[in-house]
Amino acid sequence: MDAPSGIKAESFDHYRGATGRTLVADLPLERDTLRRFVQAIMDTDPLYVDAVYAKGTRYGDVVAPPLYPVHAFRPRIGGADPLDALHADPDADGSGGNEGVFFGLAPIESPFKRLLNGGNEIEFFRCLAVGEKAVANARYADVQLKQGKSGAMLLVTIETTFTTEAGERLLVNRQTLIWR
Amino acid sequence: MARWNELAPGTRAHTIDKGRITTAHIMRWSAAVENWHRIHYDYRFATEHDKLPDVLINGSWKQHVLVQLVKDALGPEGWVWKIRFRYKKMDVAGDSIRASAEVVDKQEIDGLGFVTLRVVLTNQNGEVSTAGFAIGVLPLPGGPKVPYPFEARPAHAAVQLPADD
Repeated sequence: MDAPSGIKAESFDHYRGATGRTLVADLPLERDTLRRFVQAIMDTDPLYVDAVYAKGTRYGDVVAPPLYPVHAFRPRIGGADPLDALHADPDADGSGGNEGVFFGLAPIESPFKRLLNGGNEIEFFRCLAVGEKAVANARYADVQLKQGKSGAMLLVTIETTFTTEAGERLLVNRQTLIWR
Repeated sequence: MARWNELAPGTRAHTIDKGRITTAHIMRWSAAVENWHRIHYDYRFATEHDKLPDVLINGSWKQHVLVQLVKDALGPEGWVWKIRFRYKKMDVAGDSIRASAEVVDKQEIDGLGFVTLRVVLTNQNGEVSTAGFAIGVLPLPGGPKVPYPFEARPAHAAVQLPADD
């Protein structure tokens, strides 16, 4: 299939099934990080902040919300500053190339610039506990060049398995991303 | 805690009103997860450069609201096993976000209860911005606790997320 921009569907075939490097969160989950996170999602469940309450639950200690691990990977000290681009280009979007969506996969190279989140399918196994580090292993489950009403778009499904450092599964997230 | 016997298909399982989500709420989320994309806090960039109606409420925030919805619908003895959702419409600063869960189906398998929920996020006009389905696991009356961590057994494959509406 030829897209209007001249790019060919076959040029994305090599991404399909490709895996990335294993990501290990720089820091274990800290209680203050968790406090700011649950305040931002406006969830007042004591499980996330009250150690005495949490001790009486099946979790035994304070844990993060089930989907927290997708946000456990933060910019590294000494790494690239996503806002540096603003000095060179006042129209830069501040996303730093949307590196956070790839979870260790080689970013897809394409002429598409605008990224939309299509949706997710997630299976949960357990929550990340305070003091644990999240680990992510991602693969390109699917990559398709499609023709939409408003032009060509690239539909990408990234399947990321999140575990603890001990290899216990936390969740598997299949996220569909749309580049236009 | 959701009581298994009271969960009937077609009934409302839970609702969360997040209220009016302002630019300050969006900025708090962006800072909490260090997402510096300007469409979420820079009005001029969002409207003039990206031609959006306003700064956007993050999809990454909305997904947590849906998971919270299911978690709270099930109560502390339940487990959010699976969820699938699609983003159908943008939500912008100033929109009021309501999360709702409705019971679609329930099954008893291997001594555990599996409830399928339709989950949606709506705005102040009742427009659906995000929609999908979730499967939660609950203890049955007098039955064993839901195992934690939850690793599905082969028999649990009988419960599947419904196809998208």
